[in-house]
Amino acid sequence: MTDSFEPEIVAFCCHYCAYTAADMAGSKRISYPPNVKIIRVPCTGKVDAIHIMKALEKGADGVYVAGCLEGDCHFKTGNIRAAHRVRRVQALLEEIGVEPERVEMITMSAGMGERFAKTARDFTEKIRQLGPSPVKTAARDFRRRAVS
Amino acid sequence: MNTRETDKQSVLVIGGGVGGIRAALDLAESRRDVVLIDKSYSIGGLMTRLDRTFPTNNCDLCTISPHLSESGRQLRLDLKPMTVVEQVEGQAGDFRVTIRTLPRYIDVEKCTACGECAEKFPDWIRFTPGLDPRAPTCMRYPQATPYAFSVDADKVTDFDALQKACKVGAIITDDKEKTETLSVASIILSTGAELFDPAVLDNFGGGQFPNVVTGLEYERLMSASGPTLGQLARPSDNKRPARVAWIQCVGSRGINRQDVPYCSSVCCMYALKEAIVTKERFAEDIEASIFYMDMRTCGKDYELYLNRAVNEYGVNLVRSRPHSVVEDPETGNLVITYATDDDERHKTEVFDMVVLSTGFRIPASTRELAGRLGIDLNEHGYAQTSGFSPVATSRPGIYVCGVSESPKDIPETMIQASAAAAMAGTQLHLEQDTGAEEEDFPPEIDVSGQDPRVGVFVCDCGPNIGDVITVSALVEEVRSFPGVAYAEAVGYGCSKESMDKMESLIREHGLNRVVIGGCSPRTHETKFQDMMRCCGLNKYLVEIVNIRDQDTWVHTDRPADATRKAVKMLEMGVHAVARAHPLMEHSLPMNQNVLVVGGGVTGMNAALILSDQGFRVYLVEREARLGGIARNIRATLEGDDVGRYITELAEKVTADQRIQVLTQSIIVDHKGMPGRFTTGIQTGPRMHYMQIEHGVSILATGALANRPGQYLLGEDDRVMTQLDMDAKIADDPESVRSMEQAVMIQCVGSREPGNPNCSRICCQSAIKNALRMKNLNPDMQIYVLYRDMRTYGFQEDYYREARKQGVKFIRYEPERRPEVRADKDDLAVCVYDEVLGRSLEISADALVLSTGLIADDETTEDLSVMFHLPRSDDGYFLEDHVKLRPTDMSVRGFFVAGTAHAPKSIRESITQAQAAAGRAQTLLAKQWINLGASVAKVEGDKCAACLICVRVCPYNVPYINAEGYSEIDPARCHGCGTCVADCPARAIQLMQYEDDQILAKLDGLFERMN
Repeated sequence: MTDSFEPEIVAFCCHYCAYTAADMAGSKRISYPPNVKIIRVPCTGKVDAIHIMKALEKGADGVYVAGCLEGDCHFKTGNIRAAHRVRRVQALLEEIGVEPERVEMITMSAGMGERFAKTARDFTEKIRQLGPSPVKTAARDFRRRAVS
Repeated sequence: MNTRETDKQSVLVIGGGVGGIRAALDLAESRRDVVLIDKSYSIGGLMTRLDRTFPTNNCDLCTISPHLSESGRQLRLDLKPMTVVEQVEGQAGDFRVTIRTLPRYIDVEKCTACGECAEKFPDWIRFTPGLDPRAPTCMRYPQATPYAFSVDADKVTDFDALQKACKVGAIITDDKEKTETLSVASIILSTGAELFDPAVLDNFGGGQFPNVVTGLEYERLMSASGPTLGQLARPSDNKRPARVAWIQCVGSRGINRQDVPYCSSVCCMYALKEAIVTKERFAEDIEASIFYMDMRTCGKDYELYLNRAVNEYGVNLVRSRPHSVVEDPETGNLVITYATDDDERHKTEVFDMVVLSTGFRIPASTRELAGRLGIDLNEHGYAQTSGFSPVATSRPGIYVCGVSESPKDIPETMIQASAAAAMAGTQLHLEQDTGAEEEDFPPEIDVSGQDPRVGVFVCDCGPNIGDVITVSALVEEVRSFPGVAYAEAVGYGCSKESMDKMESLIREHGLNRVVIGGCSPRTHETKFQDMMRCCGLNKYLVEIVNIRDQDTWVHTDRPADATRKAVKMLEMGVHAVARAHPLMEHSLPMNQNVLVVGGGVTGMNAALILSDQGFRVYLVEREARLGGIARNIRATLEGDDVGRYITELAEKVTADQRIQVLTQSIIVDHKGMPGRFTTGIQTGPRMHYMQIEHGVSILATGALANRPGQYLLGEDDRVMTQLDMDAKIADDPESVRSMEQAVMIQCVGSREPGNPNCSRICCQSAIKNALRMKNLNPDMQIYVLYRDMRTYGFQEDYYREARKQGVKFIRYEPERRPEVRADKDDLAVCVYDEVLGRSLEISADALVLSTGLIADDETTEDLSVMFHLPRSDDGYFLEDHVKLRPTDMSVRGFFVAGTAHAPKSIRESITQAQAAAGRAQTLLAKQWINLGASVAKVEGDKCAACLICVRVCPYNVPYINAEGYSEIDPARCHGCGTCVADCPARAIQLMQYEDDQILAKLDGLFERMN
């Protein structure tokens, strides 16, 4: 791990709450690390385990799924399903020796710009402490070996 | 017939709170032109200041903000903020209204709400989207409508400097006040009310002690975007309070100089909400106590909310009207002095904070406006309406909704708003849908088989993006992305000039996909989708990349990082849009017929309004006669003759050529989709089977009069229900006149296990009958044994009158219920009086039980299974959203009204019937029903029929079809994508968010990184 390590983070954000909260952080000009890249989904219920795994495989050091507060899901229960899937992915990661903390489920309401920014900061910091994802380095090594 | 032949096809809505917005949207959606005016510079009213709303404790702004932006977009809706009514001439169907608009000094069309002006000259500009630390004037969400600033000209000292600060040239320095005259067919008044300012009272310390706040101020202290960022802190020392007290009825239900006599109807619920949210967040560390007179939780499922507050959250309820609040100047703590029923000595208790639950007041400006409109106000300053025309004012053609009519909460305001829209609509034609509005675009170019030619347009949004990153350099880098055929910087992409330029570039370069790098798709996607359609491209071939709100605005101090992030974000967009394909929005021809189930007051009212607008209505009634439960009611609390009203209504319905009345009929089967339903009915004594084709359905199946076997009801002739007494007073007044003593018991069969909710109508029924009995025999002694008197709103006047006339009210606790003893000569009720502290025995010539209503469980169960509709736990139909869509149901095209929704009065049932007719017209006004494109699709040959999608769908849409694989009805799919993510065979895709598009974004993000 080098000092200049900048984690790559993917945030799957639901349209109705987390994505709106991110916009809210924008209109309030609350800064957060640029490491976080947002992918908008209609509902966190849409976020598949495969999306999270693919993100890690392709090069993300951390992935979080951000949805509405429990009980507030625009589609009733999508965020609950998402939380369930995130737990499953965490268990899977643990099994293959990857820190499960690299994946997380977070909830917020559309008005919580402050919380969006804080979450982005905290998560980025956590992943920075963990260092580069072993999945990424393994995949890179594998590709290198394949080339040579 | 109310419809008038006129060429004036618009409605004026005065007041842009939630009620006004709902009414204006309903009218616009049912193809009527609307002018919505508000004296403020943005719409939203009081609701935008609330933190969370009962009973869901949601932040409902997230739910209503789409409504607001919707109203910014509607073609038929002309929004005029900062505008007031000067004069009204003419009559229903042909009013001429003079309105005056104050100068805003900002061109709303040009303003991008970038905030440059406010940044440079904060004192001159008005725009407070949740940033304002000054409670309670800020909004919680970033989307004020119109999304534009406004200039406070009195404070501006240098207009030139201000003009220079605005890069889009939106400042109009010589903006003038404008006066214009509108021709309108009808007017809706929805100006709402103010909240009482407790500073005028001298005993509670409002406006005097810093730690005494109003309910609304407390909302701001709790709010995440409030002055303390949601860290509840008391004003005097910024410490979190450990003990908070609410005092109810401050300024309401009083007889003192500053009080109003009526009940404000919402304060019990909002105090409970604030107490619950407080306990939810700070649990053990905080104590919440509510001082109250009667807990009036009589809305749908509100009683359950009260029970939860007490049993689950440990909110402490103290039945007392406190005498005074005194501050300890050392600590800032507050001493409440009060007395309770069971102890006549005064007690004192110390709290860290006191919240005064203040209610509604009609401001002087509304009284003046009423004068200009020429409408009558009641003695309390609210618009006068009548029992059977609940939203019509005294002047024909002028309607009212929301708190301007009487104190009420948001769901009731929404119902009344839709009702007012429906009634205002009767004054003008329902315009035929010619499809002209939709077909303004050239035919779509077929791009299938073409390689993606992506055009990327990057906005600088003035300094918003342009000052942080160098847009030209960004564009240069984007040009090298695979698939990008053209890239250009476009300044303000949303300006008309840039839009025109982009359109010609798209044509010139033969682009078939577009990426916009600019602001949020939440606000601007529709605008760019329309641009695509103008170019003959499918609207789903554009991707908006939010490099403003989610990049330059949040990384202002790190321009290099912001630029790198923007490149990555655009790369994600380009990758995703390359895999986008044209999507068809599902639309189907709309059947224009209406099925109304239930021929009571509600069903008949809804049928008449819709027939009046030219729609064919099938009115299905189970019984042989029309009229429903209201046939058993003779008079309302206000003294209206119900019997005559029902007879006339039934005659009108029967005589109506467009209404087919089917009595002795039941619904036996149902199929189809919104806009095209087919329902099978067995009708008449011989149960003849017939099928009805209809586009919408209104459920008005009512409720049942409860007759629980308690207190000898059904065993002793002297024991009867309020309904029985109501008939006895009308039919056999002599027997009532001869009574010397009568006892009424409230909450019989309600607010108890088995039927935990409040029946809402029983307190008013008891007061009504007591007053009528007193009228027959002024010497009669009447005792009302109650738990809480729930005479909400202006019913409080009748409650006061009953007490004045000597009706005695004795409170009982559910643990110590009254007992009845009967023999041949004597009927006696024994009750423990909490005030006297001993039991009383009252002999009675009649014992009248307030038994209220229960859901017609069998009927609602049958229908809910047939129509796939949800019900509440106690068997009433469940609306789509308890706060904002109280009349719509979860299946599009279904509406609920009257007591099938929840217990309510005749007046309230009529209101909801009108609302349902209005909501139905928003669908019926269109020849086609658009179902959107973002729906889940199953690939049949991949499906293993494992039933996972069937189980996980929150709306029960997927089913296994005859071919043995899962099928998802696009008409019923809400587009959440849960089934897609859970399908183990990967057989389902959500259109517009297909997996390959999401994975392409990941590719775009990581492609050149590894």
